[in-house]
Amino acid sequence: MTDTLVIIGFGMVGHRLVEAVRAGDRPGRWRIVVLGEEPHPAYDRTALSAYLLGRSGSELSLVSDALWHDPLVQLRPGTSAVTVDRVRRVVVTGDGAEIGYDALVLATGARPFVPLVPGHDRPGCLVYRTIEDMDALRAEARSGHPAVVVGGGLLGLEAAGALRELGLRPHVVEAAPQLMPAQLDPGGARVLARRVTASGLRLHCGTGLHTVNEGVRGRVGGVTLAGGARLPAGIVVFAAGVRPRDDLAAGAELPVAPRGGFLVDARCRTRDPRIWAVGDCAAVEGRCYGLVNPGYRMADVVADQLLGAGRRTFTGTDMSTKLKLAGVEVASFGDAHAVTAGSYEFVQADPAAGTYAKLVLSGEGRVLLGGVLAGDTSGYATLRALIGRPLPALPEALLGRRPGLNHAR
Amino acid sequence: MRGAGRPVPAGRCAVNPAGEIVVVGAGPAGHRLVERLHRHGYPGPMRLLGAELEPPYNRMLLPSVLERSLPAPALALPPLPRSVPVRWGSRVTRIDRPARVVYTSDGRAYPYHRLVLATGARPRIPRIPGLRDAGGRLAAGVRTVRTLASCRELPIGPVTVLGAGILGVEVALALRRRGREVTVVHRHPYPMERHLDAAAGELLLGHLRERGVSVRLSQRATGYGAGQLLLDGGTSVAAGTLLLCTGVRPDVALARAAGLAVGRGVVVDDRLRTSDPRIHAVGDCAQSGASVPTAGAAWEQADTLAELLCGGDARYRSPRPVVRLKDPELSAACLGGGPAVRAPAAGIEQVRLTDPARGRHAALSLRDGRITGAVLYGLPHAIAAATELYDRDLPLPTDRLAFLLGIPPGTDPVELPEDAVVCVCNTVTKGEIVQAWHRGCRDMAGLAAATRAGTGCGNCVSEVRRIWRTLSDRAPARSGAEAP
Repeated sequence: MTDTLVIIGFGMVGHRLVEAVRAGDRPGRWRIVVLGEEPHPAYDRTALSAYLLGRSGSELSLVSDALWHDPLVQLRPGTSAVTVDRVRRVVVTGDGAEIGYDALVLATGARPFVPLVPGHDRPGCLVYRTIEDMDALRAEARSGHPAVVVGGGLLGLEAAGALRELGLRPHVVEAAPQLMPAQLDPGGARVLARRVTASGLRLHCGTGLHTVNEGVRGRVGGVTLAGGARLPAGIVVFAAGVRPRDDLAAGAELPVAPRGGFLVDARCRTRDPRIWAVGDCAAVEGRCYGLVNPGYRMADVVADQLLGAGRRTFTGTDMSTKLKLAGVEVASFGDAHAVTAGSYEFVQADPAAGTYAKLVLSGEGRVLLGGVLAGDTSGYATLRALIGRPLPALPEALLGRRPGLNHAR
Repeated sequence: MRGAGRPVPAGRCAVNPAGEIVVVGAGPAGHRLVERLHRHGYPGPMRLLGAELEPPYNRMLLPSVLERSLPAPALALPPLPRSVPVRWGSRVTRIDRPARVVYTSDGRAYPYHRLVLATGARPRIPRIPGLRDAGGRLAAGVRTVRTLASCRELPIGPVTVLGAGILGVEVALALRRRGREVTVVHRHPYPMERHLDAAAGELLLGHLRERGVSVRLSQRATGYGAGQLLLDGGTSVAAGTLLLCTGVRPDVALARAAGLAVGRGVVVDDRLRTSDPRIHAVGDCAQSGASVPTAGAAWEQADTLAELLCGGDARYRSPRPVVRLKDPELSAACLGGGPAVRAPAAGIEQVRLTDPARGRHAALSLRDGRITGAVLYGLPHAIAAATELYDRDLPLPTDRLAFLLGIPPGTDPVELPEDAVVCVCNTVTKGEIVQAWHRGCRDMAGLAAATRAGTGCGNCVSEVRRIWRTLSDRAPARSGAEAP
């Protein structure tokens, strides 16, 4: 007998879940229906900048032909879910259809956070989340013109780097005193700031957005910062974080976390035993992650339960990331902020050359807990794998230091 | 022309061709010079004139006398050879350079062939109303910590130390060990700001407070009277005893009056000559290069000058500036004159260790692997080793973390253990990647099919390739060994 699994959301995590269930479901127990609000099947959201700069949408797609033709899978992009009726166990779609489920996984993702400052909705105010957002951005971007990106985190810097590639002159406005406060320490952020400034971005850290000012015909003309400075801009891109999309919770009477997101336990279960939540919309034990890797972990945890074993839990507090932002490599892994009690930090940096490496170590001796790399991240994968282990020797070559370079004279 | 007809009551004319050397100041530098001259067998007469009444002693140990961990006599320097005439309590008041004679406060005159100024430094007395009495002497209850006399037993009651430089910190900790109630007043936001960076300063502050020293920071003293030190902001601290630890000034009065070139100290060249080639200067009063030397430098200078005066061809090289806090429980050092610069500069590498939980901190600036400046706190091994390398301008060892921690350096190349997770997205261990390689997976597509490694974020690809490289480097060696 076949049960129906409905997945609401066809983003990266929803797709990962389908793949994981299909890979493990040899007897064919589950028939899977995937509802996606966006008109496109799942695509690689981390490659949106590449799309903006010319890569085709089909290249971004994650969905294989095999999945399209899988008789047990029904993929329905362009179909939104409006309500979940837990009593009747049906999902009502935007076109009024009802889809019954035996198991339901919420993978609705997140929406960009737009601060409600005066003028935030003027024409020319944009976000950076979907292929449609990129199309809109491309239509609005005028080469040679200044632009403002709100948010100096991962997404904001990626957006600013892409705008620069399009020939715009981006300002970056970050409320925290440094770039990427979630991932980097002040030292790594300084190196990043120096290098992105040299590459043409203009940074305004430690200040918020006060208003979006009017330009011609009601469009964006620029912004005023909290400190009073005025920046001219033809477009404003909001890339200051996301908020979980938990709108379905109210109608379905499912609990949400205080700061949003479907509240789930370490197995990603809501309080309804037939309903799970994964990815950006899930608040696992109260916490939302907003990164794709933890989302993949959640999908694996749920797949495990749907396939029977169900012993795995989500322990993925590992927020390790390695990125190239606006042309500068940065990475952070493990306990990057040295929050472990009794931990200590070792830093090796060449600020003028633009490299910075910090290791966080524990207790007596030198067990690696985490670190931050900026300017040169070639050691990332090795260091990441060494977390929790005593360093056999200081991995000089992995810390962005090239001895030959220093001694060249 | 010598003596120019003046009476020379006690002085002797130089009869020996080597001539008489008169050393002014019987502090450690003057003492050392005379002792060295004697040892090198200086053939002529020499004479030491000391302004203090006691024989010379090791000034660096004065805090230990305050603490009473050392009795005053223990500071005495080894006695000088009996053949060297020494006059205590004899202050030189004037140098007659054309006549080559010095005059003393007890009415004597001493001709010289060579004159050596070793007048040392005097405590800097801040201009605070009430610190001095009508006669210009320090008011009752106010002392400096510069002479043995000033370190006699302190009256009962709380002690206030003005200035948290290196001496103020040493003195405050020494007095606490004796159970005295101590308050330190400091103008700057953390102690020893001339030598430590903020992070080390915070650790030192924590240590002082933990030891029971009351520390008042960012406070200026505005007046003293009735056993109270008044602070800006309107507060005051009980200071029945007030110890001034507000720095020292080279004592250049004599040299200046004699028309010698004077900067911050008496200016000397690399032969320790002043602007008058017959007059030398050593120790705290001398300025060699840009800076007035501290402590250890005085001994070096005395040694060099002794060699020169005995006909040798030595040159004095200003040592690289090293300042170390002397305290039995605490190690702190500053190499290179001040907190390591933080502004990025081409070719300057920065190395930092931050360990507030264990009270350890290091911040080093390196050029070509050699220290140009460093602040070290709570790292006794690293302080000793770094000072040595810095002084000799040698590069740091490669394993800098081990160097700072004072542990043996690691020598193994970095090799991941078998159970280390390489592909984080799919939880694939190094062991699985190695097994797959032995089964023939030699490219990413093959590996992905076998293990899913590399199919997530892709960040592990470089590490996978590194593992493969190691495996293929080893494989031919092994088969080669098995071949015959």
